[in-house]
Amino acid sequence: MKTIHEFENFFNNNMFDDLSALEERRKRILKFAILAYLVVFVGVALSFFLAFLFCFEGNCILFAIIGGIAASIIIGVVIFYVNGRDKEFYLDFKEKVIHAVIKFISPDLEYNAKNYIGLDTFQRSRIFTKRVDRYRGDDMVEGKIDKTHIWFSEVHAEYKQTTTDSKGRTKTSYHKIFKGLFFIADFNKHFSSSTVVMPNLLGKSGIARFFNKMSPGRHEKFVSLEDPDFNKYFVVYGEDQIEARYILSTSLMKRITDFKQKHKNTIYLSFVNSFLYVGISYSKNLFEPSYFKKLTRFEIVKNYFEDVQLAISIVEELNLNTRIWTKQ
Amino acid sequence: METWVILLIVAGVFLLFLITGYNRLVRLRNDADKAFATIDTMAKKRYDLIPNLVATVQKYMEHERGTLTEITELRAKAMSGNLSDNEKVELNNKLGRAMGNIMIAVENYPELKANQNFLQLQGSLNEVEEQLSAARRAYNASVTDYNNAVQMFPSNVFAMMFGFKAKALFEISEKERQNVDVKALFNS
Repeated sequence: MKTIHEFENFFNNNMFDDLSALEERRKRILKFAILAYLVVFVGVALSFFLAFLFCFEGNCILFAIIGGIAASIIIGVVIFYVNGRDKEFYLDFKEKVIHAVIKFISPDLEYNAKNYIGLDTFQRSRIFTKRVDRYRGDDMVEGKIDKTHIWFSEVHAEYKQTTTDSKGRTKTSYHKIFKGLFFIADFNKHFSSSTVVMPNLLGKSGIARFFNKMSPGRHEKFVSLEDPDFNKYFVVYGEDQIEARYILSTSLMKRITDFKQKHKNTIYLSFVNSFLYVGISYSKNLFEPSYFKKLTRFEIVKNYFEDVQLAISIVEELNLNTRIWTKQ
Repeated sequence: METWVILLIVAGVFLLFLITGYNRLVRLRNDADKAFATIDTMAKKRYDLIPNLVATVQKYMEHERGTLTEITELRAKAMSGNLSDNEKVELNNKLGRAMGNIMIAVENYPELKANQNFLQLQGSLNEVEEQLSAARRAYNASVTDYNNAVQMFPSNVFAMMFGFKAKALFEISEKERQNVDVKALFNS
């Protein structure tokens, strides 16, 4: 595993020139965006002022306001489009920053900025039982870490809710099912049933256990495990009580608990048909440039490194490269 | 007349309690028995691997002949049937220990470590050991549920009435608490 110190060296020696060039473009985009907004703001204010000044008694107030606003918006947009728009900036950022970070972490990993883990794969994990109505994603990474094949990307799954108010008007809104990093790895043991590890939202009291046991909306049954630290963070449901314990050996439970304790994010895991699925919740959008932050600062780029490293670290933290069973 | 009705209702409710309480105890006991049977199944998988292991290993291992004979004898005894649960557990523990010793001794035989057939067997064996451990843990979980019902109020009253007794848990050894990782033993 690469350390943050190694990354800092790489940042200074290999990335800095590209980042400086990108930084210039970012500044230009920001400058013209501000200018465009300013033109719109001044134009709108001016048209109100002129309307107030000259047309107070006539009928031209509305005309002057609408005309003034429209004109200033058009001018603002033109300024931005002619000078400030940099269509390639976003893709260049992904190529020169995110791709570079991933290749630095492991040259065996492939990156595709536009691709993502498909909906069918997401659903195959059986972590989320709710119907998915809208599904998006980007930043797909694929490759092998030693013996373990991994895939991950950012995904955002939502369900649709339609409500009708007392006047009969319907309103449709989308709500989050999962947003964050979705990670898949080829697991080191063979198994055929599915086992799902959900965050324990209710705690460890008797009542919490009772509700956790009911496993609403799931056909998998509650699996009562022995590790109290693990049980503090997770609830396990499995199709097969013994296979669930075969997968979640005492050492793996300890490793999952340690992984959870290191990261604040909500973590979901599942084991289906010899694959491991991990969902790590994020509220922010991952691997995206910020127009308001200086790209050449190490603290900014460090975040991208840490987010990728977190996904990659699952292989080591959960010991997936140990292939002492029949699955190679 | 009314008192009779009330008495009848009370008796009915009590009977209902009795039936559900009794059935729950039976269900939990059956679950525990089923879990014990699975341990047996997993142990059989281990017995199946033994002849192959012994055949592969004995060509190389000169100094472990005694242990290999012991393993073969223990397997024969364990498979002979007519054993009590306690005897089965005892035999399987001995078998596990003897096989562990063989796996550690492999370190002294580099030729064996390079043998593809042996490596395959070693993988299967690790798998079976861990399945066995999973089955024991599943058994302990269902026995804990059963014991809770036998010892906690109000179901303990029914348990006493019908003679349900708490069952013993499997002791999970310190070694088993760690991942069964034969390779790690070699590397150390």
